[in-house]
Amino acid sequence: MTVNPKKLRPYDVPPKRRRSLIPGGPDSAATGFLVAAAVWLALATALGALAIGLRIISFEFSFGLGLFDLSLEFNQRRVDYAFVNATVYGWLTNAGFAAIAFMTPRLLGRRIVAEPVLNLGLAAWNLALAGGIAALYVFDLGPNAPLTAFPWLIDGGLATGALIVTGVFFATAGVALQSGYVSLWFAAVALLSLLGLVSLNAAIGLFDFFIGLPELMVALASAYIERAVLVMWLLGMAYATIHYVVPRATGQPLASAGIAMLSFLTWLVLAPFSGLGPLLEQSIPFAITSLGAVATMLLIVPAALAVVNLVQTLQGRWTLLFGPGTGAAAFAVVALAFLLAASLLEAIGALRSVHDLVGGTDWERGAFLWATYGTFTFGAFALAEHALPRILRRAWGGGLLSGAQLWLAFVGVTIAGLALMGGGMAEGSLLAEGTAADAIDAGVIGYRAAAFLGFGLVALAGLVMLVNLFLMYTSGEPAEYSVPGQAATAAAGH
Amino acid sequence: MTVHTPIETRSGGLPPWAIGLTLFVFLVGGVYLLSNLAGENPPFAIPGASGPGPVASGGAPDPAVGEALVANAQPQCAGCHGADLAGSGSFPSLLGVADGPASENLQDLGTEHPDDWAQLWIDGTTPETEGLDRGGMPQFGDQFTPEQLDSIVAYLKSL
Repeated sequence: MTVNPKKLRPYDVPPKRRRSLIPGGPDSAATGFLVAAAVWLALATALGALAIGLRIISFEFSFGLGLFDLSLEFNQRRVDYAFVNATVYGWLTNAGFAAIAFMTPRLLGRRIVAEPVLNLGLAAWNLALAGGIAALYVFDLGPNAPLTAFPWLIDGGLATGALIVTGVFFATAGVALQSGYVSLWFAAVALLSLLGLVSLNAAIGLFDFFIGLPELMVALASAYIERAVLVMWLLGMAYATIHYVVPRATGQPLASAGIAMLSFLTWLVLAPFSGLGPLLEQSIPFAITSLGAVATMLLIVPAALAVVNLVQTLQGRWTLLFGPGTGAAAFAVVALAFLLAASLLEAIGALRSVHDLVGGTDWERGAFLWATYGTFTFGAFALAEHALPRILRRAWGGGLLSGAQLWLAFVGVTIAGLALMGGGMAEGSLLAEGTAADAIDAGVIGYRAAAFLGFGLVALAGLVMLVNLFLMYTSGEPAEYSVPGQAATAAAGH
Repeated sequence: MTVHTPIETRSGGLPPWAIGLTLFVFLVGGVYLLSNLAGENPPFAIPGASGPGPVASGGAPDPAVGEALVANAQPQCAGCHGADLAGSGSFPSLLGVADGPASENLQDLGTEHPDDWAQLWIDGTTPETEGLDRGGMPQFGDQFTPEQLDSIVAYLKSL
């Protein structure tokens, strides 16, 4: 019997596929984290330019919200805190989660366990963060450093998000982690560190709210958490990412597993102690803070080892950096350069004589910029450049936007970091001479103006990334890549 | 077919230079640590707390540093003692600190601590000034280091 396809009866038509409320497809979480990261990058860079601008022209206002006597307060400290949180917990942490969601299945050959749950983690983390940044303009910041200034309820939301991501990662990796690639080791320790630190912060906030803790104790705990988030979570994820991207982007094996392991071990030993460095308080033994300072200086060791190892991995493929388009390798190389430079600067800044001069000045913000918008951001750019075509099955639109993104961010962060560090040295010298505050502000205004312009370029790079991503999604040429856990759809690699 | 593409490595061993570099830098760090075991940390700069920021530590008291600290103290000295620090209303003059305490409530402190009564009074957090009627004078001990207090008093004595 022949069937006329034009006369199908209703029950012959396959039912429409229902879309679930929470996405659960392969790489859906990695996509979500990367898109969230890109949005946070645009917001963070705008806030950063504003924060530097407020160092040049001080401006503040407040008005009542008409609710529980709350008022919205806008000032330099609050904008600065919002910038740091949007950068660290918004842009870089979402990019770190995306790296984990992307790398893990590809390195282990198994799909993410409970991808919808990971998407819930994405929602929990980002909703809490958005609420936290809004709360920074309303609630008392107390004696906290930027990364611990959210109300305890918000911290609880962040801890929940981190717990979900950590749980899904370990459920996916399981015992295979023991024999896994070094990127997974870095990621595992970094994730556990993030979970521990945000949970500790939430617990401190909870106790402080209900029973009240001494201000100094809260401030010291805050200083430790602030530093540890940078060197344990973000630095760990930067190592994880570049150790993944460089061999993949070059198509060459990692130069040395031994050096990679030594890099991991030295970072693992030193990073937790580095958090002790900022605890410069009379009641803390001098030897403890010295130990923290030395650990910070010695972090140059894993950085140098990783740079040498990955540069050796790149050997013979340098043309990738100069060919049409930029590619993940170019972003990774800039990340390596910043890794070495920022580690060296951190080491110099940890010397007591140097810290006496530049501690509390713009130097610290300059060093922060080189680490976050240099090392960590370029590591995340490299991952996005490599991962997004494989996730969305589309090619990047062209080399022009990627090139603009790379150069704007590179030139911008270099200028902004150098200007702030130079300004910090000038500020420290003026303070040591006992110069009045007004005269100091006048003395460093040129440095701050240069930093403002430099960071404006970084903000532009953030916008370029968003536009590039939008164009790829809407009009990128289809490109086939294999998906882990499914049949390979193309010969293209990961 | 399950896609599983672990990253290969060219070499599994650890080159001698990597071990040597690591040991050398750790050795340098160890020496630096050993040479920095004794000392005292400055007071912790609590974020958000007002303060004059870091100044040169150590060395002789510097009236110029003291002048900057007086100008930037929170609350400002001039707010109560007048723009020229010559006193305002019930708040005493800060001129003539070199001659000893003028206020009656500080006479005993001046007698018992003739060299550093002013530092102790401005600090306000030490046992020596416990129980003294401060008459609205804030305690600056949490804001300034002992060296900074010395510089402030050196400046006041120069007026």
